[in-house]
Amino acid sequence: MSRRVFVTGMGVVSSVGIGRRAFWESLVAGRSGASLVEGFDAARSGRDRAAQVHGFRASEHLTREELPRLGRCAAMAVASARMALEDAGLAPGALAGPRTSVVLGTTMGEADLMAREEARWIHQGRHAIEGARLAGYGTSLLSVHVARAVGSRGAVLALPAACAAGNYALGFASDLLREGLADVVLAGASELLQDLQYYGFVRLGAVAPERIQPFDLNRQGLLVGEGAAVLVLESEAHAARRGATPLAELGGYGVACDAFHITRPHPEGQGNVHALREALWRSGIGPEAVDFVNAHGTATRANDAVEARSLKAVFGERRVPVSSVKSMIGHCMGAASALEAVSCVETVRTGILPPTIHYETPDPECDLDIVANAARHARADVVVNNALAFGGYDAVLVVARPGCLPEPPGPEGARP
Amino acid sequence: MRPVALTGFGPVTPLGVGWEALLEGLAAGGDGFEGPLKTLDATAFPGLRAAECRAFDPGAILGATGLRNNDRVTKLLLASARLGLAHAGVKRDGQWLAHGPEKAGVVASTVYGSLESITELDRVARLEDPRYLNPGRFPNTVINSALGFVSIWEDLRALNATVTNGLCGPLDAVFTAGLYLHARRADVVLVGGADALSETLAVGFDANGVLCPPGGRYAPGEPGSEGVRLGEGSLLAVAERPESARARGATVLAAVTGYASVFEPPEAGALTSTRPEALLRAADAALADAGLRMDAVDAMLSQANGHPALDALDRCLWDRLPPEAAVVAPKARFGEALAASGALTLALAAGWFRGVAPGPSLRGDPTKTPRTVLVAIAGLHGNASALVLQRENTV
Repeated sequence: MSRRVFVTGMGVVSSVGIGRRAFWESLVAGRSGASLVEGFDAARSGRDRAAQVHGFRASEHLTREELPRLGRCAAMAVASARMALEDAGLAPGALAGPRTSVVLGTTMGEADLMAREEARWIHQGRHAIEGARLAGYGTSLLSVHVARAVGSRGAVLALPAACAAGNYALGFASDLLREGLADVVLAGASELLQDLQYYGFVRLGAVAPERIQPFDLNRQGLLVGEGAAVLVLESEAHAARRGATPLAELGGYGVACDAFHITRPHPEGQGNVHALREALWRSGIGPEAVDFVNAHGTATRANDAVEARSLKAVFGERRVPVSSVKSMIGHCMGAASALEAVSCVETVRTGILPPTIHYETPDPECDLDIVANAARHARADVVVNNALAFGGYDAVLVVARPGCLPEPPGPEGARP
Repeated sequence: MRPVALTGFGPVTPLGVGWEALLEGLAAGGDGFEGPLKTLDATAFPGLRAAECRAFDPGAILGATGLRNNDRVTKLLLASARLGLAHAGVKRDGQWLAHGPEKAGVVASTVYGSLESITELDRVARLEDPRYLNPGRFPNTVINSALGFVSIWEDLRALNATVTNGLCGPLDAVFTAGLYLHARRADVVLVGGADALSETLAVGFDANGVLCPPGGRYAPGEPGSEGVRLGEGSLLAVAERPESARARGATVLAAVTGYASVFEPPEAGALTSTRPEALLRAADAALADAGLRMDAVDAMLSQANGHPALDALDRCLWDRLPPEAAVVAPKARFGEALAASGALTLALAAGWFRGVAPGPSLRGDPTKTPRTVLVAIAGLHGNASALVLQRENTV
């Protein structure tokens, strides 16, 4: 049985565009999704900008039955899933049944729902809380809503792995396919911009005043973002049976934990190096095969320096092109690496490396080949999607042009 | 799934902290509902009875320092990790006795793990000023934070994953740990789940009208039960590949040999479901995964929690068991502890294999030592997962 896993469709909700084509056009053009925060008083925290999604109207994507049942985070996930199905050439209902699974990531899930009930509790007393609404809270609900929308009756799970959640979900989904436990998995992540999360990142000193400058000497931090991305993953056999054209192949993935600090990465990138090497090894390739790295690139001082060190440790003196699309879409937390996986698929599909905008002054600590300010045409057969997260999580995913990776190695074997 | 050996347990429960204490607590036959509550203001909930881990002293297990900014669910998981690794003979007094940090990981679930912290910080932001948020406590609002701390405290570097699927999540965590073990991503994985009592949790359950009223009949799985009593706790089991456990001479306390997770959508317009289809399908598929049929099950850990509709759903599954199979209701003694309930089934099954009945009988003779225990959990949203646990000599 082939262990290959293909991406055959993608759906996106982002601050720079709805739908994968609009999203990719914006990334290639170097458009920023940053704006003043709407919906809550961000300025109370001392910062006021974010990469917020303004153009998303749930009613355009959800049924009347779904609209009152879903919060914004789930609505973005369901919208992305529907777009992904259409992109994959799958009619509504085509995936109904027990061989379809859903695996999504997030950090906070439907956090605004909890915040609204919390506000009622504070201002009107606990008897004002609407109990039925609380049943809609919980990270696993995102996957449930998507499963209902597409008719999935297989495993329906969530992997809330903070800022690496998208890669965790995509990696786990590929395991389900390679183990023969599903034919199709809708995998990705969703995150909404929410006040407590925003204030918390400001208090951590991680939020920039105006713009995001990954790997720049004068970087001042991240802008919180929001959005969702869902990818249709299929086993090779299923894709072939229905005559689907793969957009890309998912290679192996690597996961590790720094076990060092809850918010700061290990200073030598211990876990990240491990995850990078494991992802390559599980893809059956060495570092010389990698054409481009989609960096985690949050633009915080600690992350970018450590990530540069990790990439040096894995790729040596070879200057692999590196970019951070967070410079445009912000740090979408749980959704970040899913959105960036979409960017990686587009990169291998088009041979265009998306830029890191606002890159002005090289940082000697981040001595990398940054794709600075303008997209670059280059060979992009094999790309790496790097993600680090709260809790010391590291998750790395390899994305490749179909036919460019060897047959995936079996599940067993020693670590590299 | 390929079989997974469970070689140690770190339970923090209302009936005992640590494996031996848990078995003693079970054998003594009491429940966790006696005594005043410490984790929430009971005056706001007159007559509330909940199974709190009253004997849990984090400092006694973890030391006096380093816990200031951790919330309760994190402390529960940290204690479970420390206890579980020691019980399995993997790590004791900070020294690795088997495996090592680069081959060790943790996979666990929680339903509302960060709820207490979210409420706490949200109140600061709303009633005071967002600039007063304690950045040292903000990470606790992120659901995977608790497991991140487990990795930091125990130096578990191979992997770290939080898996959520409502009440079913701990069973899915076991499957995930098995995937990672057999893919050689790790040689030893702590696996389980936790949830903590908090005022927010009590308010939420109260708002949904599912709590057993003061003086009401609380009898999970039995007719006439009037509602749910809350519980809390944590369990991390030590999971290994069977050959790896044998190679180091570990005692296999239980083996996980089958798993399934499925979904059946609720009725249109409804958010929750009490239909039995998913539960029954998950149980059948998990048994098939283990190469067994329903007639091989000689014991079941019911997830009945006193809520009439959910108990009725659970009862649909007992009706399909062989007539001699024993069914017990652990939540009659531990309360509804959410992810901790699902995780605790791992230790309860292992204890049962050693002749310790894990709860009051709903049918059959629980004093007979079983060979095959079925755990099947229905979530509230149409999701269901099931595990098959067998005695050590089956792997």
